[in-house]
Amino acid sequence: MEVEDLDFRYENGYKVFQNINLRAEKSKFTAIVGPSGVGKSTLLRLLGAFLKPEKGRVLLHGKPVLRPTPLISMVHQSIVTFPWMTAEENVALSVKTKNLPKDEVKRISSKALEMVGLQGFNDLYPKEMSGGMRQRVAVARSLAADPKILLMDEPFAHLDELTAEGLRQDIYNILFNEESPLETVIMVSHNLTEVIELSDTVFILNGNPATIVAKVDIDLPRPRSPRDPEFDRVLDTLYSYLTIKGGKKA
Amino acid sequence: MIAQNALSLGSINGIPFFTITLAVLATSFRVLALIFLSIISGWLLAYGAIKSKIFENVFISLIEIFESVPVITFFPVVLIIFVNRIGGELGVELAADFLVFTAVVWNIWMGEYQAFKTVPKEMVEVANNYNYGFLDTMSLVYVPFSIPRIAANLFPSVSDGFFYITVSEVFSVGFTTYATFGIGTEITSLLAESNYYGILATFIIMGIVIVTIVIALRIFSERAVARYTVDTDTPIMRRGKPRIRQTARFSAVTSLNTLGKLARYNRERRPAPDPEEIFSKKPKNSRWNIVAGMVALAILIYILYESALLVLSVSGSEWSYLFSKTPSLLYGLLLDYIRVITITLISLVLALTLGYYFAYRKRAEKIGIPVIQTLSAYPVPAYFPFVFLAIYPFVDSIFGSYTEEALVLFLGFLATFYYVFYGFWMGVKAMPSEYNEIMQNLDMGFFRKMRYVIIPSTFPYLIAGITSTVNSAWGGLEIGEYWPDIAGHKTLQVHQGLMKTIDVATSTGNIALAAWGSFLFAIIVAVYSILFTRKMMDLAKKKYVAEEGIYST
Repeated sequence: MEVEDLDFRYENGYKVFQNINLRAEKSKFTAIVGPSGVGKSTLLRLLGAFLKPEKGRVLLHGKPVLRPTPLISMVHQSIVTFPWMTAEENVALSVKTKNLPKDEVKRISSKALEMVGLQGFNDLYPKEMSGGMRQRVAVARSLAADPKILLMDEPFAHLDELTAEGLRQDIYNILFNEESPLETVIMVSHNLTEVIELSDTVFILNGNPATIVAKVDIDLPRPRSPRDPEFDRVLDTLYSYLTIKGGKKA
Repeated sequence: MIAQNALSLGSINGIPFFTITLAVLATSFRVLALIFLSIISGWLLAYGAIKSKIFENVFISLIEIFESVPVITFFPVVLIIFVNRIGGELGVELAADFLVFTAVVWNIWMGEYQAFKTVPKEMVEVANNYNYGFLDTMSLVYVPFSIPRIAANLFPSVSDGFFYITVSEVFSVGFTTYATFGIGTEITSLLAESNYYGILATFIIMGIVIVTIVIALRIFSERAVARYTVDTDTPIMRRGKPRIRQTARFSAVTSLNTLGKLARYNRERRPAPDPEEIFSKKPKNSRWNIVAGMVALAILIYILYESALLVLSVSGSEWSYLFSKTPSLLYGLLLDYIRVITITLISLVLALTLGYYFAYRKRAEKIGIPVIQTLSAYPVPAYFPFVFLAIYPFVDSIFGSYTEEALVLFLGFLATFYYVFYGFWMGVKAMPSEYNEIMQNLDMGFFRKMRYVIIPSTFPYLIAGITSTVNSAWGGLEIGEYWPDIAGHKTLQVHQGLMKTIDVATSTGNIALAAWGSFLFAIIVAVYSILFTRKMMDLAKKKYVAEEGIYST
């Protein structure tokens, strides 16, 4: 997925982005970080074509993305499930658009739930689940749509630290296992530890209007530990880019 | 004899502009004053309900039944008590007012009760912490918290109020027509004189007043949501462009937030309690409880006394007559239920499509919603005779011998469509934005969106809207099933229906039959309410709360 010369402004005229360029490589976990209020979630919505850019374009396999598509699937910061549907029905929602036979829909939904570690919880309603389980349902729903790109907007922000850590450890394997058709994951976060733990490439968004001020590749071996001195070095690098003011280092 | 109070001042070319304006203002004043009275009384009753479990159970059960029972159920009671017992102009005025009061009050009372019940525990704790008395707790915590709910209920209440006031200002019992000054009476009088320019002027003046009221309500609603809703995303209006009817209250409302005012008010007013007081229990306000209990008991005894008198005043032969009429009344009710279901289904289908269209097209919504709000406040009984005249030949060419049936259904539709439409539109607007993104993301078509996401999300709103629609459909049938002299000497009437029987019985002075029909109607509608409406509302609250689908800490 590529973003070319993207500009965007809100309805009230405020210019949020100017000249955003980035490229998310195949089989890589990409993160976008930036200070609070810089427009990280807005950028993710532009990548998913939920918002229209003022200028520039978003490309998938070289073709412009002009409207939302199941090929680019979004996992929200606020964990979104439908309270009137069971876990399985929530997941099946993304398969229904394919007009498959009922049995096939059930099979795909069950498999997606199994992938995120929720086998046996098919008939539970969201109210009967913890926050972590609900977020797994949301991830399963996205995966069941067979997306090429997964957009994740601070997916662990509303979970307690213990649950978030558990899900973080699972998520990379869930997303890039052999059965997953996923090509790329793009995650937005302000939690730098989480970003280093998961990402292969990090884009730093900063400035006003915001633009990409740096790209950092992380090639630490997995699983990654925050106690590793190399982890700290990457953390310092990211932190220094985030303290940039007006696009220049402070 | 018509008790005609209309003034004939300020006529230009035979059009009594001054009288018409006064009549429009009188009617509007009645509606707004009765809504105001509902709000004030609702605050007191809601406070009583949250303080006393027994009172709460009785109060809520009664509201839930009355909310689902159409206003015309009260008509015979109104006629008997106010016109026969009080009599004179005061009796007629009170009859009209009572009818409108019963049309607008239940929604508002229920909204206030729900708001009082859901005041965040922390706010109540703050009030308790600073030893607030009744007035302080009400004015600084409960009343501000209830404002958004009241604002949400104002549009349908104003529409309901105008709908019923125009018919309740003039009504006939036997050969006597009672009238009180207002636009309903004025239109009747202009129609009798065939003063069509006068009627046109009436609609224009009424349009101006209704648009003004709708604009004022919209401003109030926006402000109420921005100011009094907890954790709203709507920006709080501090300064801005001058708006219509900017009042001193604006600065009072926007100067400080509610909790800020609450805290400051408390600091300035209350000395710190003596240490000894902290360890003694707060004295209960038992004197007020006794007074309230005695008033409630007195009202109950009065109602029972009046009911007993009423039952005893009916002779044995009359009871036999009423029982013999019961099967045909019930058959009429069945036919009316079919009519109500037809009207509701048509309204629902149109509401779902039009509501969806407006909710997702900003430009259309900006124009369409205020237009529909204004049209809905225009009382259907005032303009329907002209619609009747205009479309009769066309409808006749399609429906033939069923023309009048179709026109009655159309009248019912005009009186009701707005409620389910507005309910659905509000539901779609209140849907979490994430749901919209997921629907876009999964590339869902219209029917799939509706089936899996939009209708379940808006289910509580739809049920509330359908309940109001059903109630208003009964009102529409009450007016339409038997409308003598709707245009010239033409009478609009259906072949058979309970509402027609009640109307005919009332206009021929057969109050016993009208009251018996209304009583049977009230019983069946109350049972329907308990078995269906309440169950659906419970289901909506239990399963279809879209907000619960968004999990965030």
